[in-house]
Amino acid sequence: MSLFPKILATALAGAVLGLGATYASLTRGIGFEAVKAGPWRGTPQISVVGGDPYARARVSRSGQVLLGTAEGLSFSAAVDSTGARLRTGCDYRVSGATPVARNWTLGLARPDGTLIATPFARYGFTSSELLRDARGDFHIDIARAARPGNWLPLPGEGDFLLVLRLYDSPHSTSAKTLEARELPTINAERCS
Amino acid sequence: MRQKRAPLTTQGRLAWLAGVLIIAGIVHLCSILIMPQIAPNTPYARIAARTPVNRFVLLPPVAPGESALPFEDPAMALGACRFDLTRGPVRLRGQLAADALVLLSFHGRTAQTFYAMTDRSALRGAIDVVVATRDQLDEIESHDTEDELPQELRLEAPSLQGFMLVRALAERPSLMGEARERLSSLSCEG
Repeated sequence: MSLFPKILATALAGAVLGLGATYASLTRGIGFEAVKAGPWRGTPQISVVGGDPYARARVSRSGQVLLGTAEGLSFSAAVDSTGARLRTGCDYRVSGATPVARNWTLGLARPDGTLIATPFARYGFTSSELLRDARGDFHIDIARAARPGNWLPLPGEGDFLLVLRLYDSPHSTSAKTLEARELPTINAERCS
Repeated sequence: MRQKRAPLTTQGRLAWLAGVLIIAGIVHLCSILIMPQIAPNTPYARIAARTPVNRFVLLPPVAPGESALPFEDPAMALGACRFDLTRGPVRLRGQLAADALVLLSFHGRTAQTFYAMTDRSALRGAIDVVVATRDQLDEIESHDTEDELPQELRLEAPSLQGFMLVRALAERPSLMGEARERLSSLSCEG
């Protein structure tokens, strides 16, 4: 092989490898600054100057407007508390103590951030409409069949995420130290 | 007679491999850094496709198949003002009535939040924010008198274009109309 094709092949291989790494880091979140607490992954605001270029690239590509530090912090979960992938074949129960926030909401979304069509247009719960037990704890059942209490309809098919948003919360400034027990747990109940 | 070229030595192969890796690294870093400029669906592009310039408008409720922005909370009423500072500063004003959650955030063109606040930081529910470039801010400040503090919050925008996003929480689905009502008192003046 003479020199020119060799240089061309090297450049091409480098470009493919480089763009592949970019694609992987943007779609899989590799190299992405995120807050982890149990099954939850949080995405704190990207700082205006400096900050993580990966985070900025990922956000511009997804089109998502992250909550600012003063507004709150949002989390998503693609797995349950044991680490198993969320799937439509299971019923789930989300339970725990109330997260520290002025308001919070919990709902479902597709991995691309769109809403899932459900009966009764019930997409999620806000902290003020939840039914709670005597100690102030709550359970949300995510299932296909209707349940008494706090019931979120599970989509019939496809991947989905649980999205937890804490508004006006002290966690958004101290998110790095968040512990799993401060956020609700996600447990699979019955799987078919 | 020309000598036949020797097959690549291990050292030669490693050199080419290093070349591939170095190019890959450069391409990777450049594409990450340039992504906010070239991505077609940035938050700004999505807002720009749906809203007029320098006017505060309510966005349609978040619903399956219809959402101005991904991962928006369906419990939130959304309003936006896309701004263009070419012809002067833009001012967001309004009166927030009840003690209900309202989030305000200010964004440049490339996925940057340059300021965010809640209704709690509004003085007696009054929202009065001026977004301007550095030069425009200097101009405004040159008219300030010493004994009178400015009443409005002044923000320096990182780019000429950007948008303000306001979210109002409906604590129950039945309160969505009321949440949208809360936002409709806001206005944007260019």
